Amino acid sequence: MNLKKIVQHSALIIVLGSIIGLLSNLGLIKRYFRGEFRHAFISKEEYPSITFISLEEAEELFSKGETLFIDSRDKKDFREGHILGAVNIPFVQHKEKGLDLHFVPRQKTLVVYCDGSECQSSVALSKVLHKKGFAPIKVFFGGWKEWQKKRLPVERGDDSK
Amino acid sequence: MIRNRNVLLVLRVIVGGVFIWAGILKILDPLEFTQGIANYRVFPQFISFSLALVLPWLEVICGFFIIAGIFRKASAFLVSCLLAGFLVLVFSAILRGLDIDCGCFGSLSRKADYKLILIDSLLLLFTLNIFFSRKTART
Repeated sequence: MNLKKIVQHSALIIVLGSIIGLLSNLGLIKRYFRGEFRHAFISKEEYPSITFISLEEAEELFSKGETLFIDSRDKKDFREGHILGAVNIPFVQHKEKGLDLHFVPRQKTLVVYCDGSECQSSVALSKVLHKKGFAPIKVFFGGWKEWQKKRLPVERGDDSK
Repeated sequence: MIRNRNVLLVLRVIVGGVFIWAGILKILDPLEFTQGIANYRVFPQFISFSLALVLPWLEVICGFFIIAGIFRKASAFLVSCLLAGFLVLVFSAILRGLDIDCGCFGSLSRKADYKLILIDSLLLLFTLNIFFSRKTART
C-alpha cells in the first residue's frame, strides 16, 4: 500500500472520529462556551459544593475568620510561607487514601489553595474533600502567588494541627 | 519483525483491545480526561478540551479497525502517532517533575512514570509490527 492511501485513510479516520466526538458532546461544548469550565474541568452536577473564588472573596472570608484555609502544596513550600492560619494537606496523586483529614472541621467553610492558577492540586484535593462529605468548599484559584503579591497576612513554619 | 499470522493476530487484538478499552473509559468521562490532559501543562485550555472530545473516539475507531483489519495500515499509523505523542508527553512530565496521572485510562489512570513509558513503548513496538506487516496477517 502506498503512502498516499495511508494518508487518505488516516484523514478519513480523523474526520470520522472528530465528527462523532463533537456531535456526541454538544451539551458539554455549550457549557464550555458558557464559561462553566473556566477554572477547572469539573462538573457542577458531580461536585455541587465546590465553587471557585477570587482573591477579593478569599480576603473577605479570611477577615471574617470563620473559614479554614487549606494549603495543598508540599510541606517544603508550606514551611517557606503560607496564608496566616492555614493548615497543610499536601496533595499527592495516587496517595489520596492516606490523607489525614480527621482535624478538618465539618461545620466550617473550607478554602483550598495551591501555588496559583497553573497548579491543580487544590482542585484535586477539593474533589477528595467533596467525596468525603465536606462542604462548602471554595477553591481560591489565584492561590499563594496572588495572596503573597498583595502582601496579605502570611506566616512561616509548620502548621499547628 | 514478527511475520507469523497467528502471532500478528494476537498483537492486533492486544493493541486494538487496549485502545478500545482506554477510549471507552475516556468517552464515559470527558471532563476527567480533559483535566488529565490539562495536568500536563502543555496545551492551552481549549486545545485540551478539544483533544479530550476527539481523541477517545479516534482510539476506539482505530482499535476496532486494527482488530477487524479495516484500514489496518492507516489505523496502525494513527495509533503509532498517538503512542509516540503519549511517550513525549509522559517523558516531559517526568523531566519537569510533575506528579500526575497519565490520563490514559480515564478514572482508572495510573501515574505518569517510567513504567508507563515501558508499557507505551511495548505497545508502540507491537503497533509498528502491525503497520509493517503484510496483508497475509489477515485472518
